[in-house]
Amino acid sequence: MEKKIGVYICKGCGIDEAVEVDKFEEVATKEMKAPVYKTHDALCSPEGLDLIKGDIEGEGVNTIVVTACSPRAKHKEFTFPGCVVERANIREFVAWTQEPRTEDTQALAEDYVRLGVSRAKSADLPEPFLLDETEMSVLVVGGGISGMTSALGAADAGYNVALVEKNDALGGWAGKMYKQLPQSYPFESIETPTIGATIDRVTSHDKIKVFTSSVVEKIAGVPGQYDVSIKTNGGSEQFKSGAVVMAAGWRPYDAGKLEHLGSSNPNVITNMQMEEIASAGKITRPSDGKEAKRVAFIQCAGSRDANHLPYCSSYCCLTSLKQAAYVREKNPDAMAYILYKDMRTPGQYELFYKSMQDDPGVMLTKGEVTGVSEAPGGNLFVSLKDSLLGEEIKIEADLVVLATGMVPNTKIEVEELAEWKAKFDEKLKASGGQPDPKAPLEPHKVPNILNLDYKQGPELPVLEEAYGFTDSNYICFQYESRRTGIYTAGSIRQPMHMLGSIEDGMGAGLKAIQIVEATKNGYSVHPRAWDQTYPEVNLQKCTSCKRCTEECPFSAIEEDEKGTPFHKMSRCRRCGTCLGSCPERVINFKDFSINMISTLFKDMDIPEEGMRIVALVCENDAYPALDAAAFNRIKINSAFRFIPVRCLGNLNLAWVADALSKGIDGMILLGCKFGENYQCHFVKGSELANERLGKVQETLGRLMLESERVKLVQLSIQDYDKLPDMLNEFADEIEEMEPNPFKEF
Amino acid sequence: MAEQVIKPDLDFVKGVIAAGGDSLKKCYQCATCSVVCNVTPDKNPFPRKEMIWAQWGLKEKFQGNPDVWLCHQCNDCTAYCPRGAKPGEVLGAIRKQTISQYSSPGFLVNLVNNKKFMPFLFILPAILLAVVISATGNLGIPEGEIVFTKFMPVFPIQIVFTLALIFGVGVGIMGMKKFWADMKEANGVTSGDLKGSITGMLTELLSHEKFKECDVSRDRATSHLLVFYSFIALGIATALGVLYIDILHMESPFRFGYGTPIKIFGLVGAVTIIAGTFLMMSNRFKNAEKVGLGSYFEWHPIGLIGVIGVSGTLAWGTRVANMAGLAYPIYFIHLVGVLSLFLYLPFSKLAHIFYRGAALSFNKYSGREAAVQPAAETTAPAAGAGTESAHESEAESGQGEKTRE
Ligand code: SF4
Ligand code: SF4
Ligand code: SF4
Repeated sequence: MEKKIGVYICKGCGIDEAVEVDKFEEVATKEMKAPVYKTHDALCSPEGLDLIKGDIEGEGVNTIVVTACSPRAKHKEFTFPGCVVERANIREFVAWTQEPRTEDTQALAEDYVRLGVSRAKSADLPEPFLLDETEMSVLVVGGGISGMTSALGAADAGYNVALVEKNDALGGWAGKMYKQLPQSYPFESIETPTIGATIDRVTSHDKIKVFTSSVVEKIAGVPGQYDVSIKTNGGSEQFKSGAVVMAAGWRPYDAGKLEHLGSSNPNVITNMQMEEIASAGKITRPSDGKEAKRVAFIQCAGSRDANHLPYCSSYCCLTSLKQAAYVREKNPDAMAYILYKDMRTPGQYELFYKSMQDDPGVMLTKGEVTGVSEAPGGNLFVSLKDSLLGEEIKIEADLVVLATGMVPNTKIEVEELAEWKAKFDEKLKASGGQPDPKAPLEPHKVPNILNLDYKQGPELPVLEEAYGFTDSNYICFQYESRRTGIYTAGSIRQPMHMLGSIEDGMGAGLKAIQIVEATKNGYSVHPRAWDQTYPEVNLQKCTSCKRCTEECPFSAIEEDEKGTPFHKMSRCRRCGTCLGSCPERVINFKDFSINMISTLFKDMDIPEEGMRIVALVCENDAYPALDAAAFNRIKINSAFRFIPVRCLGNLNLAWVADALSKGIDGMILLGCKFGENYQCHFVKGSELANERLGKVQETLGRLMLESERVKLVQLSIQDYDKLPDMLNEFADEIEEMEPNPFKEF
Repeated sequence: MAEQVIKPDLDFVKGVIAAGGDSLKKCYQCATCSVVCNVTPDKNPFPRKEMIWAQWGLKEKFQGNPDVWLCHQCNDCTAYCPRGAKPGEVLGAIRKQTISQYSSPGFLVNLVNNKKFMPFLFILPAILLAVVISATGNLGIPEGEIVFTKFMPVFPIQIVFTLALIFGVGVGIMGMKKFWADMKEANGVTSGDLKGSITGMLTELLSHEKFKECDVSRDRATSHLLVFYSFIALGIATALGVLYIDILHMESPFRFGYGTPIKIFGLVGAVTIIAGTFLMMSNRFKNAEKVGLGSYFEWHPIGLIGVIGVSGTLAWGTRVANMAGLAYPIYFIHLVGVLSLFLYLPFSKLAHIFYRGAALSFNKYSGREAAVQPAAETTAPAAGAGTESAHESEAESGQGEKTRE
């Protein structure tokens, strides 16, 4: 495309008061050679927009540099189909954060004009990546309440669904309940389970194909085109699917490990056993079949306990309240004692708690259960300390129910792992190898649920720190997993009650549809939804170092037989981590490339006097934080030139070399938090950038520059008020060093 | 401390709920109530702990528990409870339960405080009086000048009412003694300054010093004070009457002329009692939004005293106005009211005269109240805290500590 660049400067929102707009013309037209240059008092107004549109039609302008506000503002207004649009942000970065009408402010604004035009020159219009065919269907793994809800959600919207359940019947745990929690306002009384109706709807839905007693043997392919092999009871089936919902559910925590709560006594049962007993009729106790009139519930049995499950399982307080309700319903003279650490009844279930609390026969106290011992007549004593009742007390009960917690089915138990490791070592020995006790378990023992045919392993990444739940960006978008097009729903993701699972299942079902549609139309999903660009590789120059295949957080890059990497494009989230990883700089996007950023350093004005610092700013959190600082009119050091990047994972060390060899004094990288509780929108981006910086000394050593000239800062959007200090601190550090000697060249 | 086996009793819980503590179960143990209460001691304060004991039906915890009687039902707690539990009312209901424990026969407590049996409260004394009057006086409207002794002579009045009073007060004192013994046992208190504590209690009582610490229903102290003193005034007037008529064999002092001072004393008492009860009622209505209107248990004595005060005054008024047709029946109602009051004294809310008196004294006797001053802490274990040392039990129930500016 033959580019004709138009630079449009807005004078509104305080810009005109802060800088001499007239002086930009020289920079834009003479220095940067833009043929069209115009100003307007309010560019986003209909008249301002008409000005641009007029030039597109009349002058043939097709590359537009909107020199006005942040790209996060007025997106709709400044969209011109068929044109490359670049946004030079002189409102937030200059007018709202700098001293008006100073030399430094003017220089800064002029630099942003240069950078805007420079970027516009490098950018191209995207051409969406399209699959030859997209499957408009969804695979749901797990036939519990979450999975069934996902299936119904997708099927009702018109998509074909295959629902795979390993047991011989649908329903999961919800199907084993005697009574269910109230499902709607006023959330007061327990209900007869409605799961039967859900099962009926699923089995009779003409868009849902149910496979019971079946497991997923293999999932190959990409979102939009998955080939699923299902092992059925005695046979196998194939299913072509566009997306996957994983709702593989949970299991109760093993009560056998709760010996300290008397779990070996027959009259100490789990909450799941309680459902069975209740379904059979009267609440009787296992040892002698006697009716239990005093039922003690021990909450957090195993949960919130560093030795067992460190987290709150979130459903068990409610389950005990529910069970207390039917203990009382079945026998109005019976009493239910609930012994809790804290009552946790998420959301509207506070109402249910209140209503149960009102029942005179439901007695509650906080306290620490110190043991369960035998009492005469097959009864039990539960000992309690630090209770609200005052002293150390014992309560006599006929039956004790342990409110055991939830373990996701993705969790591999330590015992299982040890057993697996022993077998692995044995095999290794048999083949002549030597097991190394210190070596990491490689390949890891993983749960056997999805069996993905992916370079980075067959299952969704599970974080040990997340207690075996599947990894998701917990802070920003929990519903996305680290495999594009595969969504987790229900208790595999985090502990939740049935109502939560229904909501979650519906959400995942709809996300699954969303990606099918996005893939069909060639654009990305969250967090770069609607992005039509994608990484393009110049394979001729690829050395097959495979760094990109390893670093892609979404396992979107596979290798062919010769070991050459290739992108499985619809798995790609367009983060650009691969762009940063490639030492040969062969991975680029149409509107974002290594060269584009390097050229910015060339086009920037670097005077001999005066400090220049470049900040690479993550678009997801750091850029909005800068905008927030600007909204609050917080002053920011004028030495900084902010350059947005998709993710800090884009950092290619070539940029550091290019910037500093042009005389830029320092470079700061503003990105999201990484580590255990990462906030990076692309999971690994900022962490990888940090790793790459580990090697920056090498790069800078060649230039005889200090490695301290480059620094990475982790921040989140709410840190906007701390930004100026962070920046000033870095500026001070740079100030203390000599000015970059390359300035003179 | 050894583990104590607790025995939840569902019937007790239901009993407290039925007795007006229907908000009992709403409590979620935040202890706001114990913090805002101005009359509770700093150590092991009430009513938070009483709320959960009652929720669990731990009736033995209330055996010999002075705390429920230290509560003056200011209802500050109720006004501030974030959960809509009404600890003030619940404690009132628990008090009612303890009354039936100590005032025997206990079943009378349920009878007296059950709205359904209200007629019975009046019919019984009415029949009794009717029988005595028809035997000794004139059950009808006597002719001539209105003289109430024509209707019921002085002597039978004195016999009936003295016996009734002896019964009422006797039952109360016996209950009080049982309660005292239980308090000593439950709190492991063996000795103390009995005389000093009673004097202390009385001094406080005369000024209503404790009651005045109430916040939300501060006005209740005034109305209670009015009723309290008018009772005393009327008591003195009656005693003088007995003195004049029976001991000195003089003429009844209740007439203008030679008995003017005593007459005025009586009249002022009557007016005050009416004013006091009226205030009590209006206070209850005024605070209803914040703390609820109160139960029958609470309204019964207010109503009864009101009836007595009004009927007494009207009897006098109609007599002076020479309206025999009204004066005698009203006088009869007045007598029935007073008799009902005497007979049921230890079974109604008025039993607080005995039990609150005992508890307030015990609080001083055991040194619990003085625990506010650190020096006194060592003198005796805190009440309501079991048998060992007060410190230990407080440390265990960490929530027991009361913080107040
Ligand atoms: S839901 Fe309740 S019982 Fe379950 S772990 Fe959380 S706090 Fe404990
Ligand atoms: S690293 Fe990011 S941009 Fe590259 S292939 Fe993976 S998901 Fe796509
Ligand atoms: S303020 Fe209310 S909820 Fe809190 S402890 Fe007192 S009665 Fe219970």
